[in-house]
Amino acid sequence: MKLWMYVVRRLLILIPTLLGLTFLMFILTHAGGTHILIAEYLNPRLPETAKNAATQAIITRFHLGDPIYVQYFYWLWPVLQGDLGFTITPIPLPVTTAIALFMPNTLMLTIVASALTWILAVPIGVYSAVRRDSVLDQGVRVSSFTLYSMPIFLIGFILLVGLGIYIQPAIGNVNPALLPQLRGTSWFDSTISVSYPTHILFFDAALHGYWNVAWDALVHALLPGLSLTLALLAGIIRILRASMLEVLDQDYIRLARAKGVPERFVNNLHARKNALLPTVTTFGYLVAGLLGGAVVIEYLFNYKGIGWWTTQAFYAQDVGAIMGSTFVFGIILVFTTLLLDVLYALLDPRIRY
Amino acid sequence: MATIYEKKGRYDDLKLSSKVFFANKSAVAGLIIFAIYLGIGLTMQLAPGLLGVQDAGLAANPACILQSPTCAGLLPTAPSSAHLLGTAQVNGIGDVDLLDLMMKAIRVDLALSFFIVLSGAAIGTVLGVVSGYAGGLVDEAMMRVTDIFFTIPYLVLALAVGFILGRTLENMALSLVVVWWPLYARYARSLTLSTKEMTFIEAARASASGRAKILFRHITPNVLPPIFVQISLDVGTILGIFASLAFIGFLPSTANVPELGYIANQGLTWGLIGYWWTVVFPGIAITLFALAVNLMGDGFRDVIDPRRRS
Amino acid sequence: MADALVVRDLQVHFYTRRGVYKALNGATMRLAKGEVLGVAGESGCGKSTLGLTVMSLLPRNAAIPRGQVILGNQDLVNLQTAYAASAGENFRPKRNEKVLKRVNKAMALLRGKRLSMVFQEPMTSLNPVLQVGFQIAETIYFHDPALLARRALARSKATTKDMKDLLAILHERGADEKAVTDFARARGLQGIEEQALFVWRRTDIQVSRRETAILALCNEHIRPIAKKTYERVASVGKIPIELRMTPGVSRIVRRFLFREGYLKAAELLTSLGIPHAERVVRMFPHELSGGMRQRVVIAISLANNPEIVIMDEPTSAVDVTVQAQILELVKQIRTSVSASFLVISHDLSVLAEVSDRIAIMYAGRVVETGPMNRVLENPLHPYTQLLISAIPTLEGSQVAGIKGEIPDMRAPPSGCSFHPRCPFAFDKCKTDVPTDLPQEDGRLVACWLYEAKKP
Repeated sequence: MKLWMYVVRRLLILIPTLLGLTFLMFILTHAGGTHILIAEYLNPRLPETAKNAATQAIITRFHLGDPIYVQYFYWLWPVLQGDLGFTITPIPLPVTTAIALFMPNTLMLTIVASALTWILAVPIGVYSAVRRDSVLDQGVRVSSFTLYSMPIFLIGFILLVGLGIYIQPAIGNVNPALLPQLRGTSWFDSTISVSYPTHILFFDAALHGYWNVAWDALVHALLPGLSLTLALLAGIIRILRASMLEVLDQDYIRLARAKGVPERFVNNLHARKNALLPTVTTFGYLVAGLLGGAVVIEYLFNYKGIGWWTTQAFYAQDVGAIMGSTFVFGIILVFTTLLLDVLYALLDPRIRY
Repeated sequence: MATIYEKKGRYDDLKLSSKVFFANKSAVAGLIIFAIYLGIGLTMQLAPGLLGVQDAGLAANPACILQSPTCAGLLPTAPSSAHLLGTAQVNGIGDVDLLDLMMKAIRVDLALSFFIVLSGAAIGTVLGVVSGYAGGLVDEAMMRVTDIFFTIPYLVLALAVGFILGRTLENMALSLVVVWWPLYARYARSLTLSTKEMTFIEAARASASGRAKILFRHITPNVLPPIFVQISLDVGTILGIFASLAFIGFLPSTANVPELGYIANQGLTWGLIGYWWTVVFPGIAITLFALAVNLMGDGFRDVIDPRRRS
Repeated sequence: MADALVVRDLQVHFYTRRGVYKALNGATMRLAKGEVLGVAGESGCGKSTLGLTVMSLLPRNAAIPRGQVILGNQDLVNLQTAYAASAGENFRPKRNEKVLKRVNKAMALLRGKRLSMVFQEPMTSLNPVLQVGFQIAETIYFHDPALLARRALARSKATTKDMKDLLAILHERGADEKAVTDFARARGLQGIEEQALFVWRRTDIQVSRRETAILALCNEHIRPIAKKTYERVASVGKIPIELRMTPGVSRIVRRFLFREGYLKAAELLTSLGIPHAERVVRMFPHELSGGMRQRVVIAISLANNPEIVIMDEPTSAVDVTVQAQILELVKQIRTSVSASFLVISHDLSVLAEVSDRIAIMYAGRVVETGPMNRVLENPLHPYTQLLISAIPTLEGSQVAGIKGEIPDMRAPPSGCSFHPRCPFAFDKCKTDVPTDLPQEDGRLVACWLYEAKKP
């Protein structure tokens, strides 16, 4: 079947998957008792006197007295409309606004880390398999094995301590010394450290011509991105090397050599594409780890993304933020899985049937 | 010469498997390191005094707080001859020997890792085998349920579940069990399905009443070894994951439990770069353990996968 | 008659964790030009290893301590024999890998061009993620891109008048290759002869349609970039350096040449009997049946008009009906193609269909060689006799097996390797390795029973 038919089919499967996500979110928000939902939707800016009435309003709105399956629909409806409640970290905001402010940073971090991983992993993995047991191969194997065993915070911390001297200061989004020149500008909000319009400091500063701030923001994103890249690289190189070795044993590679195809083309044209297939599948599993790792790294580097927001919310017992960020991570993961499935279908002509 | 019909000795299989395993040098190294960790954990559990440690369950001695200002508020000190790995700061109490602390933490971490993985594997495997064997609606339903768990990244889901349950060590373990069992359910189900394909013919010949029993007798030897390998690999991974959970602050500062991630988290509170050993050494402890477990897992894979033996 | 390939006293040892397997233990054979030589034997006798050694496709743990594989006047295995001789007991696969790198570099020029091989499993022989047309065009692209360039150029240069004249020649002289080629050269249309002859020789369409097709082979419009590329490639003979090194340009060049390669691939597939070849070339291997896949692999092996085609168990992995198709195909090919064939199979009936001569192998050595029907009627070597008597026939007599087992090739028997199982063995068989003793009809037997009898 054609590729577009597969994409359409895959998109149709998206709907029940998203529905399943909403089920899970529903259970999370309602399993602990009604107080969780109430805390989530109670507007924090209300004065104490109004809180009682507001609580009652929430109870009626979500029909918290009714049986559980009825409650699902009353909960789902506001969610579909974009109302996910309120958060108090870092300042009182609707959850969706907070997500819109912080998500771009996390997206940039994870996308750049993924891109960098693939750019580096493919040549290294292929070369390592082709030059099997060479010095480079041994080195690659040992280092990827070690990196794979290291917890993500250790990778981040070692980078921070090791390279932080050269990339001072390495935490946060931007050098606090530069903040005074940004205060009073319309495009940077220093109370929550968020910039406009793209909410990614690097792009916004560049858009407004503040090149030193842009460069500073880029440098600040370097170490967090590098940590995530290293963590991903370890997993990807291992599977790529293993599947490349398996592919190189196959009959069709032998036939390609028997045809007189030069070795370079055997590796890059014939073998690599086949070896990428299980690698893309594995990457799908690793993305969940990547997103979790982003939370840890953002916490460590104080990098203002959704992960950082989640950890801050955790300390403050901010229900709206936790539920909101969980939901957002779920959506990111579901769509990333979709993208990877389509990518796999692009690479493997057999799957389109 | 033995023919194929000659009965093998009871332990012949085990002997061959051990030979294959011990031929792999790095797997043996992993086993040794793993055994050291186990040893430390058990010693801490049964006879902490042997290693010069009292009260293995607490990170910092609360009695020290009462004696402030001599105890509280001291900063971590660098590794020295007195304290091999330096000292750390926990729960506002400084100058806690890091090596002692880490040994206590290894006990806690190991116990929790085993608990999480074994519980998750037990629940998941049973559900997965039942689902795969039963087929039909039961199987479909199980697939949908596990799919739902896979929509959220595991760390985030563990955070959310833990948030609902409360910020304690036990709840952290429980939330990870909740997150982890679907993986085993899926894996066990696929193993069951492939076994079902193979033994179905035999089952058709067997009498209808004995079918279930025979199938289980055939399924378990095919399903359990790969699951066992997966368990052994997961023990290392899980330790890293919940140390990371503790690191980002799952446990409140006052928790005072010896746990590697928690120690690292406390180490962060006093400035990042200055007291690096409080973060790095627990991290290395986690890394070593994961390394050992991965090497052992490779060794196990050699044993059960005949292709890799040649 | 000149020999296409000579294998002399070839030894191949495989170094594995379980020991050293002497897969070939002094194999000698001769492939004459234009003939089909069948190589028969049980599994483990070394016949597949022989094919792989000729192509130098052995894995890195294979050593060639002794022997020669002579193609034309070149020994193809001299680098490996030199290394194995120097290493002796200390043969290391890792060091052998370095030797093999050099070997592969040299062999890449020959493989697919003068020597080609068809493997046993058509299912796994083709790369599942590449179109079959691509895999056929590839081999032409790497060996003779100028041919592809010339073809495209010829079509663009040719005028309708040229084609009409060509048609006249074809009507007059039939499929006379020399005449057509001369014509093409005279008009500066090199590359058109192949295409025209292909169309003319097609048996699946009527003459009138062939005429239309040939008349259509002219006045083709190609873009100036393509034209310049083709001219450059055609003049240089292979892809010139400046086009190869620049990353973006090399891709474009490749695309142009492959487009032409797909056309030639369709031609090849049509001549092998695949209908709708233009559509088939754009398909992936999993979309084709086993028989079609085997034809694709055969097309790949024939694409550059090789001197030698080695077929390793071409019918073993397919069902009987496809087997018959393939054998028909081989018989048809050898009339239209000038290559010599080496067909390896454990199935004597398959070999009986297609071979001119047959070589029987046992335990790494060739034990009998001779014309196919003579060997079948009158087998000389005891092993051949037992093999043939083991074939069930319509007469329904009891099928006799051969007692004993194939020897463990880590420690092959001394002297004649067949002596433990041979009903006629005597003392000399146990100690001396039998040499090839010539008999009448040009037959050779390696058996001491025939020492006294000379033709």
